[in-house]
Formats: sequence, structure tokens, C-alpha cells
Amino acid sequence: MAGSTEAHKPAGPVRNALFPVGVDLYPLDDERASFGDWYVRDLEADFAAMAAANLSLVRVFVSWKLFEPQVGQYDDEAEDRLGELLAAARAHDLKAIVTFFADDRLAEMNDVTWAKKRDPRTDDYLIQREVSLVQRIVNRYRTDPAIWAWELGNEAFFTGFASEDALQKWTTALREAIREVDTARAIMLGVDAETLVRETGVDATAAIAQFEYAVSHVTAPYLSYIAEGPLTYGPATYLDSFLLRCNLRSVPVLSDGVGVHSLDGSVAEEAAYVRTALYSALMNRGSGVMLRRWRDMDAEKREPYYRDPFEVLVGLVDGSGDAKPALDEVKRFTRVVARLDLRHYTPAPERAAVLIPAERHEPLPSLAGLYDPRSCLQAYIAAKEAHLPVTLTPEGAGLEGLMTVFVPSAGKLSPAMWVELASFVQSGGSVVLSYGGGDADPAVREIFGVDFLGDHGVRSIVSCRVAQPGLLGDLSAFDARLDLPHYALVGGGSATVVATDATGSPFLTLNQYGQGRAVFIAAPLERAIAQSDPWAAPEPIRHLLRTVYRSVASAAGAGPVIDCDDPAVEIAHFQSEDSDVVLVLSHDVGSKTATLTAERMVASVSDVRGGKPAEVGAKSFGVPLGPNGAAALRVDYR
Amino acid sequence: MAGRSPAVIAAEDLARRGQVGAAVRACHDALALGDRGAHVHALLASLMLDGDFYDEAIAEATAAIESDPDCSPAYLALGLAYDRRGGMSDQSVLVWHELAEVVPDLVTAHVQLGEAFSAAAFDEEAVGSWKRALELDPRESRATYNLAIASLKREGMALALPLFRQAGELDPSQDELFFALLGLADAPVIAVDPARVKPTREARLGAAGLALKADDIFTAAELVRSALDTQPDDAEALALAAYAYLKQEAANEAMACALRAVSLQPDLATALYCLGVVYARRTGLNRHAARVFIALAKKAPAHALVHVLLAESLLALQRYEQAGRAYRTAVRLDPACVRARFGLAATYLTEGRHAEASWEIRRAAYYDTKRQGLFWKLYEEYVAAGEEA
Repeated sequence: MAGSTEAHKPAGPVRNALFPVGVDLYPLDDERASFGDWYVRDLEADFAAMAAANLSLVRVFVSWKLFEPQVGQYDDEAEDRLGELLAAARAHDLKAIVTFFADDRLAEMNDVTWAKKRDPRTDDYLIQREVSLVQRIVNRYRTDPAIWAWELGNEAFFTGFASEDALQKWTTALREAIREVDTARAIMLGVDAETLVRETGVDATAAIAQFEYAVSHVTAPYLSYIAEGPLTYGPATYLDSFLLRCNLRSVPVLSDGVGVHSLDGSVAEEAAYVRTALYSALMNRGSGVMLRRWRDMDAEKREPYYRDPFEVLVGLVDGSGDAKPALDEVKRFTRVVARLDLRHYTPAPERAAVLIPAERHEPLPSLAGLYDPRSCLQAYIAAKEAHLPVTLTPEGAGLEGLMTVFVPSAGKLSPAMWVELASFVQSGGSVVLSYGGGDADPAVREIFGVDFLGDHGVRSIVSCRVAQPGLLGDLSAFDARLDLPHYALVGGGSATVVATDATGSPFLTLNQYGQGRAVFIAAPLERAIAQSDPWAAPEPIRHLLRTVYRSVASAAGAGPVIDCDDPAVEIAHFQSEDSDVVLVLSHDVGSKTATLTAERMVASVSDVRGGKPAEVGAKSFGVPLGPNGAAALRVDYR
Repeated sequence: MAGRSPAVIAAEDLARRGQVGAAVRACHDALALGDRGAHVHALLASLMLDGDFYDEAIAEATAAIESDPDCSPAYLALGLAYDRRGGMSDQSVLVWHELAEVVPDLVTAHVQLGEAFSAAAFDEEAVGSWKRALELDPRESRATYNLAIASLKREGMALALPLFRQAGELDPSQDELFFALLGLADAPVIAVDPARVKPTREARLGAAGLALKADDIFTAAELVRSALDTQPDDAEALALAAYAYLKQEAANEAMACALRAVSLQPDLATALYCLGVVYARRTGLNRHAARVFIALAKKAPAHALVHVLLAESLLALQRYEQAGRAYRTAVRLDPACVRARFGLAATYLTEGRHAEASWEIRRAAYYDTKRQGLFWKLYEEYVAAGEEA
């Protein structure tokens, strides 16, 4: 057996500096409190409990209203209170993210009365006041070791921006203001580009690229748009990692706002969802996790607080400070993360990607902006169910390093993208494209080897008859009920017809183009699944999609290194020279035993937290998983 | 209320034909031309709702109501968008309350109001709304299912079961299952003239099936009788007779015919169906019903309702886990099966899985309201009222 388990065990505290886990500490926990009660309560017990849960980070929020009650006059008491807060965090070995302009709809933090209704995002005078405030605070605490990062705002604040220009101008001013005073600390913007563009149409990608960290953040409106439904199985369990990968560009991404949005679920369901989100972040190249809230809001028992309209009500501990099951999940997770030496292990490279079409940014009346993210999520889930190491790539970002690209139900791609796709396939890459409606681009004939004859329109039954068994995996014939908005009639060409519909019209074709392969699916399957009932999509259709994805990716060298027999189980593979770590996550509410199969003979498997290794002596081994269960295993090879 | 512009009329036409993208573009053309009336916003709200884009639907419906506070189709779209989006039951209550006042005989408004009340934990008000819906339409199955669920939460399964059974009997798709098992799912509903039926077994039974589909029990009985006169041990004819008796609430006769048919041909799906249904209706025979429906599920596994019938018999036997499995199979086969969704919700409640139960009830409402197509009814009434004015 190569390698030693003991060699990778970190000594000392059970925290991982390379994957910090933290929580938002809101100024008020009681709806009846006023803005003046900003962090006025005794937080010693809370910080002690955070430390006991092995949390590394705590996010605290500055109240502009409290700090600058009159123009240019700062409240010393508020500043001292922030100092005490940071000192208390430091005493418990916690580091702080200080957020300047956040809105929690309760503490009135940005409700500066002297601003007289001017917009703090665009008004030059107010921006100057903001710069002064930020520089004052940063200057006072710039040497404080308790500060981990400065953050400019939160989601609720940024949804007030109406244009990219305004956002860019504001962020540049504030960022430069901090950098004048503190050149060392990381600065974050504090907004998720994908959810913000959905909410406001404002694309924050360029603004975020200036900062040291990005965040991904499942907001309540985004969740209800893309995956409204149960949190413990189906699409919602993939959403945290989907957004994380959407935001993975040039800077590391913190998985932010992890936790439930409403009080609908039981505490056990909250815990299961938190576990899924935590592991999803670690398994999908997240750089840390921030949990949504430390303590439940003590809300008045009246409408609308039967639910969580402002996403800030549900915490890890209840109103009296007693830990909820979700906090136990956090503790277990931090212990696992602490044992994973991320300098020693690196995630397996993702050579497959779902392409996010540029049309996704088109406003109404184009429906692409509404359909495409949902289609991409379904494609991402299919790739995950096929156990492919997969990521997301926006159109125009380049296809370097990829071997397989999935283009799910796009209405149109830019001419430059078609040229890039043609070049990609010619040089050995593979592409799977499902027809998204409308006229097909002439490049379809060139790359996919099919002649587009027209859109047959709406169908309510998807039929598959396999003409070439084994060519694209283990496909079988079926008829399944699913509303298809389009069906491409194609003919002729150089492509091999792998499957047809019930009338013999090509449904799935494969074309060898240059050194690579191009697969054409004649119907927008990903969109159809997303627009019907993603929680009850017909299994034969999901099977077809993941089989095709897997077959194409595997043939192109982008297939799974560690395989699994259960599509609802997600696998992440961390490699090193002597041993590997495999993270396993069930997206299902049932208990199961997943069988994992490696390419090499496995000598033994052990829990990353330690314990006696289990001898395997085969390529396959079983991993028992509870409902929404997760496991972190060190795999040693013979 | 202003009239509709030609662009809106074009958008209506496209929307009715299911051309969503073109209809949305036509609506935006109308907006660009300065038509900011309630019609265009209501249409857009409906189109966004059809695509499950709830925030957009809410914005458009709100704009329609701002333009004309009497725009009932906009209230419908707004209420449905709130309910389907989730987490907005407080707003939803207000909208359904308003719509129930604007269109007092709109049964769905009362059903939805009840569900919104229930989601906001106002249980008494919810029950009141569902009872009001049943006063307007005693055959409203979703209101009955909701009352069954409310009863299950408060009093337990024993008292809820009769309501579940009652709701199931209101389900017209159960008859469709029988005709699907008979191979007449796609057959047209036509009057059968027995004098023109060929005197062969196949022709008589085929025509009898068509007559039953057309609710012409007498013609069906005459044809079945002719077939049985020729061949008394004809299981298929006996199954038809059993169904005819079932439709006439003659349970004993139905049971006798179905039993005889099953004894002659144990895997005859139509006979199994009739026997299972008649057993399920008789107190104390649920164990028998479950066995028969298990056999039927093996014979006809592709029909969602077969699994629902099996699940309901298991529910009556308090075998909730097995019932849940059968309901889940039904939902997989037909996600739009309201009856399976409510049944599944009931099994989740017995396990304390409230969030999932609530989700199934919401999905039942989703599919039920999609099937109803109420928007166009209200829209046409709204247009007609505008033209009269």
C-alpha cells in the first residue's frame, strides 16, 4: 500500500485554513429590537459555541446608520462595540468578514436619515460619505488579526443597482478606498453574479473579477425560479454546487448563504440540506462556506413570519441558543475538512463542461434568459448523475482544457461560438448538442453532419428506437410522456443515426468530425425536463441523457475516474501521488449502499478522520450511505 | 376599461395556439406601441405562469390589476403565481379572497384560498373555504381531498379515510382507466345502434364497450346479454357486465359477475379492476381489494391509476409505507395525477414528513389548475364585459 494515512493527519485544531467554514452573525435576533440594539447583546456564548463547532469565520455587519448618525459625525460607542466584537471573535480564534453595506430588513443598517432618500449606490455625495466611513473603519482595524476580509455589501443591497456602469463605479470607488488604507486584507464584493443577473438584469461578473474572492449564494427568489420544491432530493440538492460552478471564473469562490430559506421543513430536513450544501461546496472547488445565520430570529407570531421572506430567519441554533441538528452537521463536516490536506490533494480535473449560452443574458421578450439557466441546471445534473467531473463554462470564455462540451437546448449561439465549437471538435473534442428550437445554424450541418429540415413542433411523447446499439452506451427503446416544445426534423448528412423516434425520424445522431465526435439530440430534452416536473421526470429520458453524456465524455477522455452504480450519488475525487480521497454524497432521501469502482486495484479504504483501514483487494467497494448521507474516504492503491 | 389593440388580439391568438415565444413577443410589441392596458399584462402574466416564471408572472399580473382593479384573469394569474412560487401564502390569501369576491361562483378561488389559509396555518379558515367550494360544486375533488388531509392532521386516518374514498369516487379518470384496460382509451364516444352490430362475439363486446363509454348502459346490457346467451362462460363479457352493474351502484351483482370472470380468466384486467373496485367500496374487504389490485398492477403496470387504486387499498389497511411506494410509482408514471399526489401527501403525513406532504399538495394544485385552463374562461368573460361596457 502506497502512502501513509498518518502522514496526512493535521495536528492541532480541527480547522482547515484552506477551506474555512463560517457563519453570518446578524446584529439583531429579535424582531422587537431596534437599530440601536446593534450587537448589544452578550455574544460570548455564541462565539464560544462557534469555536466549539470548529467554525473559522464569522461575518459581522456594519450599521452605517449607527456609525454616522449625523453627516461626518461618527459614533464612538458604535466603533468601540465593533472593536469589542472583533476582540471577542479573536479570543475564540475566529476571523471576521466585515460587511459594510448590508440590508437585513430589520436593523435598518443603511437607513441613514440625513441621506434624504438619495440612492447610496449612485449619489456622488453619499458615495463620498461611504468612502469616508469605510476608510475610517478599515484604518482603525487594518492591523487587527481578527479581520479575514472586508466585504462591500450583501445581496439585498446590490439588488438596488440598475446598471453595470453604476455597479462598476461604486465598487471601484469603495475598493480603492479600502486599498488606500489596507493593502493586505482580501476584499469581497459579496454578491453572486448569477442570482444578481436573474434578479436585476445587472451582470456583476466584471465587477467581481476585481476582488480576491467571489461568492455563490442561493437566494430565495433564485431557488423558487430554478428549483422550487423539496430540499432533500432532486434538483434543489444540486443548486448550491451549480451556482458555485457558475461563479468559478478567475477568483476563488465562497459558498455563501448556506442554509434553508423557510421554516417549512423539519429540523432534520434543515440538517440534511445543510449537509448536502456543505459537501457540495467541498466537492465542487469551493474555497469555503458561509452559513446563512447563527441564531433563529425571534419573530412575532404573525404574518408574514410563518416563512422566511428575507432569508435571514433560520439559524444553526434556536432562539434560546440551543444547537439544532444542522449545527451538529456543521461540526461533523468541519472535522472531515480538517483532515483533508488540500495542499496534498488536488481535485480531479474537469474535462467536461456545460456551456451557458450568451443568450442567457437576453431580456424579455426573448425567453432564452428564462429557459437557459434551467436547461443548464438539468444538463449539469445529468452529467453529475453520469459521475462526470463537470463544470460550467459561459459562451465566449474559451474551451481550453476541456474534452467534452454539452450544449443544452440553446436557441442560438454566436457565430464565433460555432467557429470555436467546430475547431474544438476538429481537434479531438466532443460535443453533445440538443436542439433548442428555431432554425438551425448552418454550422450544424458541418459539425453534426445532419441536414435540418424544420421544426416539427410540440410533442407530448418522447419515443426512442435504438438503431445502433452500443454506439452511445447502453440505450434502450422507450416511449415516455414528456412535453417537448420542439423536435428537429433532420435527414441526410454524414452522421450515423443512433436512435430514431417512433416514426423513424432521427432522434440521436453521431458524427465524426475531424478528430472529434459530435452528437445531436433532436429535441430539447434538458429544457423539457426543466419545464415539466424535474422531480418526476421520466426515468427512461433521464437515463438516455446521462448515458449519452457519459458515453461521449468517456470516449473523449473526460469520463469518471472513480465510477459509481447509483446516479443519485455524487462523487468527487481528490488525487495525490500516493493515495486518493473520494467524497461521496447521496442526493436521495433513502438509505443505500453505493458501489464505487476505481480504475486501479484498491488496497484499503479508510475514513479521512482516521480509524482502521478496511482491506478491499478489488477495484470495487461498497459505501453505505444514510438518507442524504455523505462519506469522505481515503483510498490507498496496491 | 379600454379595448384591445390589434397587437393584443394577435398575441391572444398565438397564446391560444401554444406559441409562447411568439405570443410574448407580440405582447411586447403591444407594449412598445403604447398599449399598457390590463389585457396585455394579464396575457403576459398567463404566459409567464405557463412557463413557471413566477416572479415575472407576479409583476405582470400586478401591472394588470393596477391598470384595471376588476381584471379577474389577472387575479387568477397572480394568485396561482404566489401559490406555485411558494413562501407567499400571506399575499396569496389576499388575492384569492379578492377573486372570490369578484367572481363568487369561481370554485377554484375558494379551493385555492383554503390552501393558502392552510399554508399560513389558518386551519379553521381553510376548512371553511373548502366547504364553501363544495357548496358551489359538490363534485370538486380537490376540496374533498384537502378536507381529508385536514381531517388526517386533526383526527387521524380512521376518520380521514371515508373522505379520501369519497374524493376518489369523484375522479372521472377512473372510468378512463377501465376503458384503457379494455383497449378503448382512444375510441370516440359514439352512440351505438344494437341493430347494426354484427352477430359475432367480438362485434357485440366491442360495441358493448363503446356503449358503456357513451354511458348507454341499456344498449351495453343488451349486447352483453346476447354474448352471454351464446357463451355463458365468457369472462370478458362478464367483466363488462360487472362494470355496467358498478355504474348502477349494484355492488352485489357487480361482485358476482367480476368474481365469475376472474375465476374463468384470473389475469383479465377489466375483471380485476371491477372486482377490486367493488371490494374497495365494501367495508372490511380492503384486504381482498389490495390482493386484487396487486394482481392488476402486475397485469397493467403502465397505468398510474392502477397503482393509485392499490395504494388506496393499502392506505385503508394502514400499510402506509407500501401505500407510499405505490403512490410514488403512480406519480412517476403520471406526475399530473392529483389523486396520487394527495394520497402520497397523506402517507408522508403519517411519517411526520410535513414539508414533503405540503409539496405534494402544492403539486396537486399545480396540475389541477393547469388542467382546468381557467385563465381563458375568465379572460373571455373579462373581454366580453369590456365590449358590453
